[in-house]
Amino acid sequence: MPQRPTSSLAACVWIPLFPLRCEEARREGLATHPTALLAPDLSRKLWQVSPLARHAGVRAGMTVSQAIGPCPTLWLCEPDPVHYDERFARLLAALNEISPVIESGELGLAYLGTDGLEGIFGPPEKVVKAIECVVRGAWCVRIGWGRGKFAAWVAASRAKPGEAIIVSPQGEKKFLAAQPIAVLPLDPDTHRRLRQLGIRTLGALAALPEEAVTAQFGAVGRKLWRLAAGHTVEPVVGGVAPEPIVAALTFFTPVGERDLIERALDQLIARTLKDPRRIGWRVQAVRLRAELEGGGDEGGSRGAACCAPTYRSWLADILLKDPTADGARVAAPLRTRLEQAPPAGAVTRLVLELTAFAPGTTELQLFARDAVAAARAGQRRALESAAREILQRVKRTCLYHVIEVQPWSRLPERRYALIDYEP
Amino acid sequence: MNREWDVGRGMRTDRLRALNVPQSVTVQLDGEGIPRRVGDAPVEVVLESWRIDDEWWRLPIVRKYVEVVLEGGGRLVLFEDMKSKQWFAQKP
Repeated sequence: MPQRPTSSLAACVWIPLFPLRCEEARREGLATHPTALLAPDLSRKLWQVSPLARHAGVRAGMTVSQAIGPCPTLWLCEPDPVHYDERFARLLAALNEISPVIESGELGLAYLGTDGLEGIFGPPEKVVKAIECVVRGAWCVRIGWGRGKFAAWVAASRAKPGEAIIVSPQGEKKFLAAQPIAVLPLDPDTHRRLRQLGIRTLGALAALPEEAVTAQFGAVGRKLWRLAAGHTVEPVVGGVAPEPIVAALTFFTPVGERDLIERALDQLIARTLKDPRRIGWRVQAVRLRAELEGGGDEGGSRGAACCAPTYRSWLADILLKDPTADGARVAAPLRTRLEQAPPAGAVTRLVLELTAFAPGTTELQLFARDAVAAARAGQRRALESAAREILQRVKRTCLYHVIEVQPWSRLPERRYALIDYEP
Repeated sequence: MNREWDVGRGMRTDRLRALNVPQSVTVQLDGEGIPRRVGDAPVEVVLESWRIDDEWWRLPIVRKYVEVVLEGGGRLVLFEDMKSKQWFAQKP
């Protein structure tokens, strides 16, 4: 497995409310109205709220009916996770021009490793300028630079929109000491307990003995103390594009019907997208291959009357215009190819290969996968949960879909088949 | 061999599992080739018979189907593979 590149010096690029900003960027006039984005699930609760709406009393997590009361002019947007996914991918690709070491967080949050960049751009100020040049215009970005991800993140979170804060290693302790404890990765309970103890800044926390904090809050407390004191420098860990991900399906009888081939294609796409190696990456290039009936035959073994060529395989190489983690978008150009230039023979084996990837985020993969399924979430989730439990217990798939293969066939065993059901 | 094909072959291959696959059975015939006993169960009535010739362009499939009622009322469809001369039971 290739070693992942790391960098101890980090720049944090943060675009708060990224999905909402995406909507504002593509809908004229949205930015000047109180706006809220609905959650990408069935709850119909508000996911993100614009500052104007927030000023009017609307909060994330409210139901629509709760929000309309304090803000009757609220504009609601349906979520478009795939669009946010694509926009963020483009942002990451742009940042990749500055540094090869990029670690993405939630939507709108990315870390760049800047070790060695001083040789190209100069001091940190110049590095930050270069980042601003790459992302400027499209977004109101906040940038922080410091030693490790935490210092960079705190700097970015304290920066004003469109500005940058650089925390030099010499001034790091002083800078962190003045920050509120809310910048720490705290759960609500720990946050409440710290406030009850009168600890409101990182400086106040770091002033306590490490052992005392550890005794009170356990391993989490120790981690928080070390972050507050600037003793932990979390490096930026870049991703390494995964090797091609391959899935194959062998038909028990050669198949010429496009419907069935497309159904098998959907199955293969779903399987490859679910591969753990793909998490954090979007598909940029895909290859579909088909082994055709008679592919193993030598031409000479055929009768003299058979003059037709012996077709061996079929291949479609697709470069996706916009990298995506959405199965339907991966399938679309392949379906078009199957329609326009179908395999010249019955298919015995279908192989799908994801050959190139673009950086993405874990969060986005979840969105992209759930976007369509969310509409039927309830029962499906229960079914998926049950299927996973069965898989864990018996270590093999025991659930299958019944699919039509050749329902018109005179041979009963050719009419229907079982295919793995993988939640 | 092309590298990509190697990669593909190295991965787990999943098959479609056919439903209603013919099950091999032992059939005793009378002098006219009509089933009289399937396994241990005597055949009470022969209802219908038909023949299928298919896939002549690939590996020809020739089957002689017989629908029978076993003693006790069980209904069963049998066929004889005319190439291998073996008998199978299969749902129609």
